[in-house]
Amino acid sequence: MVRPRAPGVLGWVVISTCVFIYAPIAVLGYLSLSPTSQPAIPLEGWSLRWYATVLSDPRFMRGIMTSIGIGAVTALTGTLLGLLAAHTIMRAPASARLRTAVAAVIAVPLFVPTVVLAVAIGITAGRVGVGFGVLPVLAGHLVWVLPFTTFVLTARYAQLDTRLEAAAADLGASPLVAFRSVTLPLLAPAVIASVLFSFALSFNEFLITFFLAGSGLTTMPLEIFGKVRIGATSFLNAASMLVLLVSAVVALAAARFEPPA
Amino acid sequence: MRSPEWAMRSRALALAAAPVAVALAVGVVPVLVLFAESLVWAALPDLTGVLEAYARVGRSVYLAVLGRSVLIGVLLTGACLAVAYPVTYWLAHRCPPRQRVLLLVLLTLPLWLNYVVLNYVWVWILARGGLVNHLLGAVLPGLSPLRLLYTELSLTVGFVYIYLPYVILSLYVAMERLDGELLAAAADLGASRVRMVTDIIIPQTAAGAAAGALIVYARIAGAFATPEILGGPQQQLIAQLITDAFLEVLDLRFAAALAFSFLAVVAFVLLIGLTSRHLRREVRRW
Repeated sequence: MVRPRAPGVLGWVVISTCVFIYAPIAVLGYLSLSPTSQPAIPLEGWSLRWYATVLSDPRFMRGIMTSIGIGAVTALTGTLLGLLAAHTIMRAPASARLRTAVAAVIAVPLFVPTVVLAVAIGITAGRVGVGFGVLPVLAGHLVWVLPFTTFVLTARYAQLDTRLEAAAADLGASPLVAFRSVTLPLLAPAVIASVLFSFALSFNEFLITFFLAGSGLTTMPLEIFGKVRIGATSFLNAASMLVLLVSAVVALAAARFEPPA
Repeated sequence: MRSPEWAMRSRALALAAAPVAVALAVGVVPVLVLFAESLVWAALPDLTGVLEAYARVGRSVYLAVLGRSVLIGVLLTGACLAVAYPVTYWLAHRCPPRQRVLLLVLLTLPLWLNYVVLNYVWVWILARGGLVNHLLGAVLPGLSPLRLLYTELSLTVGFVYIYLPYVILSLYVAMERLDGELLAAAADLGASRVRMVTDIIIPQTAAGAAAGALIVYARIAGAFATPEILGGPQQQLIAQLITDAFLEVLDLRFAAALAFSFLAVVAFVLLIGLTSRHLRREVRRW
C-alpha cells in the first residue's frame, strides 16, 4: 500500500494558488445568501431571496437571454467557420505558404489588444453605416472566438491518423464523403468542445460588447458592469453567482470533451 | 481544359473563403480603418494637420498613461510568471497523474468565467467593510479600517487574479515538454536545486514562457474592466482613455490615434520578440 505523501513546498504553492483563486468566489457565494440588501460580514442570517429577486428581474433576465442568444449564434457560426479554416490549414491541397497565411489572418485578433479591436470595429461599423447594435456585436464576437475555435480544431486534426482519410479515398470516397464519414466523427469531441468553449467566451465577453452594443442592446456582462459601477449589493452578488454557475457548468462540460493542454 | 487538380484546388480555396473573409472584414480591415480615421479622414481634402490627433497623443499626460499601462503589463506578467513557474513545474513533473487533470481544470477554469464578476469579487475582500478589514479588526481591535480598494494594491491583486490562469496554461504546455530525464540526469550528477532551475528548467521553458508573456502583457496593458472596477483615479490606464474618447467625448479621431499608438507599441514589442527564432517557433505552435 502506498501512503499518500505530504505535499512538499511546491505542492503547498499549488494549494495556495487554488485557494487564492477560489476563496474570493466562496466569499461572494457566502455573501449572496444575505437576507439584507447590503450584506455585513458576518451575515445575520441566511436567505435565498436575492436569487429569487434576480430570477424575476426583467432587465437582468433579458440581459441573460440576449447573452445566451448571442453566445449560441457565435458558438455555432464560429465553430463552423473554425472547421473550414482548420480543414484548410491542415488538409488543403495548397502551398504551405498559403496555409500559413490563412492561419496568420485568423490569428490576428489574438495579437491585437481587445480594446483596440473594439474601437476599430466600432469606427468601421460607423463608417460603413452599420452603427451600433446586434450586428456589430455578433461580428465582433465571431472574430474574437474564431482563432480559438480554429486552433482547438487544428490541434485535433494534428492528432488524426491521415491513413484513415487516405484509405477512404482509396476505397473511392469523394472528399466530401470521406470528410463526413471519417474525419468529422473523429473530430467530434473537439467540435463539441469548441462550441461549448466559444459559447462561454461569447457569453462572458464584455469589452467588445461595451463598445458596440449602443443604447438599445444589453447583455448580461453589461448589466453586471453597470451595477458594479453603482455599488456592491446583495442583488449583484446573487446575479454574479448565477453567472459564474452558468459559465462554470458550460466550461466543465467542454473540459470533459477536451481537457486543457 | 480544367484539370481535376485545378478543381480540387479551387474547391479548397472556396472552403477557406468564408473564415478568411470574416477575419479580414472584422479583424484586419477595421485596424486599417482605425489608422485612416486617426490620420487622414478628418484632414481631407487638403490634408492639413494630418498628425493633429497624434500631436495630442504626444502630450505628456497621455504618454504617461500609455507608459504606465505598458509598465504595469510587463511587471504583472512577471509576477504571474513567478507564481506560474513553481505551479506548472509541480503539475507537470511532481504531481500524481491522477490529480493532474483535475488540478489543471481547477487552475484554468477562471479563463471561462466572467471576468467582470471575477474583478468584482475582490471588492468584497478589500472594501472598507470587506473580509480583510473584518479579519484585521477581529485580530487587532481598535485598528481603523485600511484603505485597500481603489489602490495600486487592489489593481495588482485583480490583475494577477485574472491573468494568472492564462500564464499557467501557456507555461504548462512548455513545462510538459521539458524532458524529465534531463532533470533526473542533472540530479544524478549532483546538480543543486538552484542549478537545476537556472541551468535546465528556465532555459528549456523560456521560449514558451515568453510566447505566453507577449500575449498576456498586452492584455494587461490594454485591460479596461480591472482598472475600472478595482483601480482608483490615480491608476488610469490606456483602455480607459480610449473608452472615454470613443464613448463619452465622441472624439473618434483621438480615440483612433490613442488606440493605434497603443497597438504600435504592442506590435513593436511583438516584432522584437519575433526576431528570436525560438520564439517564432513557439508562437507558430499556438
